[in-house]
Formats: sequence, structure tokens, C-alpha cells
Amino acid sequence: MDWGNLANALTLANLALALFGVVAGTVIGSIPGLSATMAVAVLVPITFAMEPASALILLGAIYTGAIYGGAYSAILLNTPGTPSAIATTFDGYPMAKRGDGDLAVAIACYASVFGGMVGALALLLLAPPLSTVALAFGPVEYLWLSVFGLSLIASLSTGNVLKGLAGGAFGLLLSCVGVAEISADIRLTFGSSTMIGGIEVVGALIGLYCIPVLIDLVATPERHLKVEDEVRSVRFKEGALIAWKSRINLLRSSVIGTVIGILPGAGGSVAGLVAYSEAKRTAKPGQKFGEGEPDGIMATEAANNATVGGGFIPTLVLGIPGTPPDAVILGALLVQGVRTGPALFDGGGSIVYTFIFGLFIATILMLPTGLLIGRYAYKTIVTIPKTILVPTVGFMTIIGTYAIRNSISDVIIMIGLGSVGWVLSRFGFAASPIVLGLILGPIAEQGFVQAWIIGEATGNLTGMFFGRPISLAIIAFTILTLIYPVIQSRRARRLARTQANSND
Amino acid sequence: MTENTTKPGGKDIGTLLVAALFVGLGLLTLHDVTGYSDSDSIVFPTTVAYALIFFSVLVIIYSWLKPNLENGFGSGDWWRRLMLVASMIAACLMMPYTGFLPATAVAFVGSLIAARHEGWDFRSAAVFAVSGAVIMGAFYALFRFALNVPLP
Repeated sequence: MDWGNLANALTLANLALALFGVVAGTVIGSIPGLSATMAVAVLVPITFAMEPASALILLGAIYTGAIYGGAYSAILLNTPGTPSAIATTFDGYPMAKRGDGDLAVAIACYASVFGGMVGALALLLLAPPLSTVALAFGPVEYLWLSVFGLSLIASLSTGNVLKGLAGGAFGLLLSCVGVAEISADIRLTFGSSTMIGGIEVVGALIGLYCIPVLIDLVATPERHLKVEDEVRSVRFKEGALIAWKSRINLLRSSVIGTVIGILPGAGGSVAGLVAYSEAKRTAKPGQKFGEGEPDGIMATEAANNATVGGGFIPTLVLGIPGTPPDAVILGALLVQGVRTGPALFDGGGSIVYTFIFGLFIATILMLPTGLLIGRYAYKTIVTIPKTILVPTVGFMTIIGTYAIRNSISDVIIMIGLGSVGWVLSRFGFAASPIVLGLILGPIAEQGFVQAWIIGEATGNLTGMFFGRPISLAIIAFTILTLIYPVIQSRRARRLARTQANSND
Repeated sequence: MTENTTKPGGKDIGTLLVAALFVGLGLLTLHDVTGYSDSDSIVFPTTVAYALIFFSVLVIIYSWLKPNLENGFGSGDWWRRLMLVASMIAACLMMPYTGFLPATAVAFVGSLIAARHEGWDFRSAAVFAVSGAVIMGAFYALFRFALNVPLP
């Protein structure tokens, strides 16, 4: 590492690119349907004429800004701007509804910056050794990772766990619709050409999270968000104080995000959900997750922004993209003639270290720009009349969903799923387990079928599924996640009984 | 589990119906998999269908024994909800024939009427019409020209 690379990253041109990237990414990421992948993909062509390090800085800044931007619509509209902000809706929207949207936006910004810094630090210091983690993950590890993800249903089901499990199974079934991942069978379309393309995850989550809110908004004359008597600016100091008090949660979530970011295919949505679940599992007495708990927002936002740095580790060291936007960036690097691999850190170190310092700068720039954009986004959403907000959001859901695959079928499925999701939510079937099933379904199926084929070919099916150390560790962690709430509630009951006895 | 609001004799019909529909969906899936040619395509949906049926039956039993009578569609105007969804679906169906902007204008106007509770006068109608045109035009331009999305 050469400190001259820091000076390279701090040139006026690179600073301007980082600022532009963060602002553009934040704005694009805040629009439902426009994911971080799309933000990076759309702006890739403008990097082709740039120096490789500058191109990487711009793409990294867009990526990190887009991941953070997803929090705005998650908090203010209950619609994750990007899939990685799914868990931000759980506590962000309840906070906004009770009049604390400004605080939620500030907290999300602090957490995103913290997570982004931890991810970038891991990229700077630990890239080559950490990249071996990605190589150690085979199909069966991905299967168990998705099973672990599904075990989060228990903690995400704020109402009824049984309904959460049924909803998760429904989501898994939805993930099977269309052409099968492994073979070419067309599944569960029941003859409908609309369904052949399958259910697009981003469109589905726009439908499941946004359409029910719109249906509820139009039904009654009440305001969409609670407005305080005087519209405040974003609560910087209060947010910073809350973030400082939850520094352990921030650090834990950032580490989770970094590690999950390293695993190819897992991405920010899984990282956010896992970090949220961990924050909920280790909640202090009195914390009410799902009802507007700041720790829930911090866990998700720190984790999803940490995946940016984490995802770059296998991308740059192994040439294996850690997250979907990394795949686009990898393509851009190949166009630039940059060959990824361990040698990039040795021989061609100047490019990669200039980029890493650029990522730090972009993450730091996200603090003022994020708070500033958040302030205007909050004021706009709070003061805009519901009469114009509903059709505008409705229009954005249609154009955003259409843009993903240029498909009208996706828009029809989005509206249909949203309407079904509204009915289900009215009877206690939450959207989150369904979305979790939909996201993890393909990972689980691919891992299961591939592991099965390898196990049969090697004649050791049991060893394949239960004989690998990482798999066993994930299985143990899954079991712990499932039984910990039971142990915790028993311990709380015992403590309450002891206190009652001592009072007597 | 949630704390349920129960009263003797009352049933949470909505939950029972939804869970029954899930059971039906699971059975339909088990029927559908019989038509697949590759066994690799069959294993996962079959397993999931059994899980869906199992958990849905448990939901039925639990809801039957401890119904949550707070569940339901709640208050609010049904015509507004239906108008919102119907106008959005109508826009999708019209899109291949009329193009993107005219079709989504139908969804926009439908949602506008559904969301307006304060009554209408000429001035408010004009303000919303102009605002709507500006918003739709701006987003259309962003997606069509800046992001190169081939909108119909």
C-alpha cells in the first residue's frame, strides 16, 4: 500500500466523480424499481473513456449511494427503493408514521456511512485472505445458508409464526414459477404466457410492500404520515447520539454485511435481513422491533452498505462478483483492460488502492449529501398532498417495474401480487416471509439440486449434506437462531418469577 | 404467537379461507409437478408444496381454536380501493395498444380520483392535472431518454 494512492484518489477530478456518483446513486436508488445494479449498469458507459481508477471510483460511489438511497422510500413510503432496504421498512415506516421520519432518515445515513466504512476497511486490509472464504462455499453451503435465511422467518414474523412459515412456503413456491433454474421445465404457469418469465424479485417486492400501502392510503381521508406542528429539519444530533449508543449493533451488522457481501450471490438484501434478525435477537428489554425501533434501521443500513466493500473482495481478488452490481463493475473493468486477481493487489496495486481510497471518500461524502438529500426528501414526502402522492407513487411503481425487464407481464404480476399481499396482510400473513422465500428460493433450489447430484455421483450423499465443516457451522447457527427465542423467553419468565418472589 | 382477541363462537373466517386457499395451491402444485420431464425440477416444488400444506393446515387448526377477531378488511371506501387497482390493471392492458403515456395517464387519473377525499373544484382539478402531466412527463423523459428504457 502506497500513500501516494490516497493522493491520487484525492485529485479534484476524482473527488468530483465521487460526489457525482454518490448523488446520482442516491437519487436513482431512492426510486422504487431502480436497483443499485441498474444504477451502476446505466452509468457504466460514461466510464469507458476514463482512467481505470477514476472509473472504479465513480462506479463504487454510484453503488454505495444507490444502496443508501433505497432507505428513503423504505422509510417514507414503505417501499424499499432497492431490495437491500427490505428490512429498513420494518421499523423505518412505523417511525415515519409516528412523525419520526426525519430521525429515521438521519439514523439510516449514519448507519450507511459506518457500514460503508467498515466494508471498505475490510477491502483495504483483508481482501486476499477473506476472499478464500468465498472459495470455500460450495453448493451445499449455499443451501444451508438459504435454510439459515429461511429460519429468520421466525424472527421476521411479528404476528403469528405459523402464518410466517406458511407465507415463507408461499414465497418459495412463487420462486418456482416460470422456467426451472436447473432444467428447462416450465413450472406453475398453468398455461399463462404472462407467468412464463417467472416472478421478478424487485417487481414482486414493489408490489408486496407498496401496493398495500396505496390501497390503505386511498381508502380513508387520514394523512399518509404524521406531521409535527413545525416541520423540522433532519435531526442530525439526535440521530448521531442514537447511533453512538448503538455502536455495538452497528459494528456487528457491518461485519455481517461485509462477510455476506463476500459470498457471491447473497447480496445486500440477505445481509440486511440477517443483521436485522441478529439485532432483534440481541434486543435489550423494552426495544420493540417492527414498531419503529431505531436499532432495526441501523442494523439493516449498516449491513447493506458494508456489502459494497465486502462484495468487492471476491470481485477484485478472484474475479467472482460478490453482488449483482459487482458483476456489472467487473464487466466495466474487463472493458478497461484491467485483469482482476491477486496480482491486482501486488503488481497493479495503484489502481486498486486508489479505488479503495476513493470508496472511503465516496462513503464519507455520503454523510453530508445523504443528510441534505434526506432533509428535502422528508419534507417533500411529508408536505405533499395525498391526492398527488398516491398517483405519483403508483406511476413510479408501474414505470419502475416495467424498466427492470421491459415487460408488461412483470407490471401485471406486481399489481396482482400487491393486491394479494394486501388481502394476506389483513389476515396476519406478513409480506416479509413471502419476500424472503422468493429471494432465497432459487439459491436453495440450486444448492440442493447441485449438492444432490454431486453427492450421488460421489456415493456419499449424507457426507455431502452433513459432513462439511462450514455446513455444520451454518446448521448449528440455524438451530441456535431457532431455539434462542425460546430460551430467551424462558429466561425472561424465570427472571420475572424470581423478581416477583423477591418482592413478596 | 400473538395475543388473540377471542369471543365465544366467533371465527376468523378470512384466515381460514386464506389458509384453505394455500392448501389448494399446494395440491395444485403437486398436480402440476406430475407433468415435468426432469426429476431435478420436481423435488423442490414438491417439498415446498408439502411444507405449504402442512403449515396451512396448522394455521387452520390454530385459527379455529384461537381465532383472532381483529383480522379483517377494516374501515374505508371499497370503491376507492377497487378503482386504484382497476385503473392500474387497465393501464397495463391498454399499454400495448395506446403506448406508455396514454395508458399510465389512465392509472394516474384513476388513482387521483380514488385518493381525493376533499371534493373537487375547477382550480384543484387544473392544479392536479398540470402537476400530473409534469410528473409523468419528467419520469417518462428520465426513463426513456436518460436511462434508455424502451417504453412502449
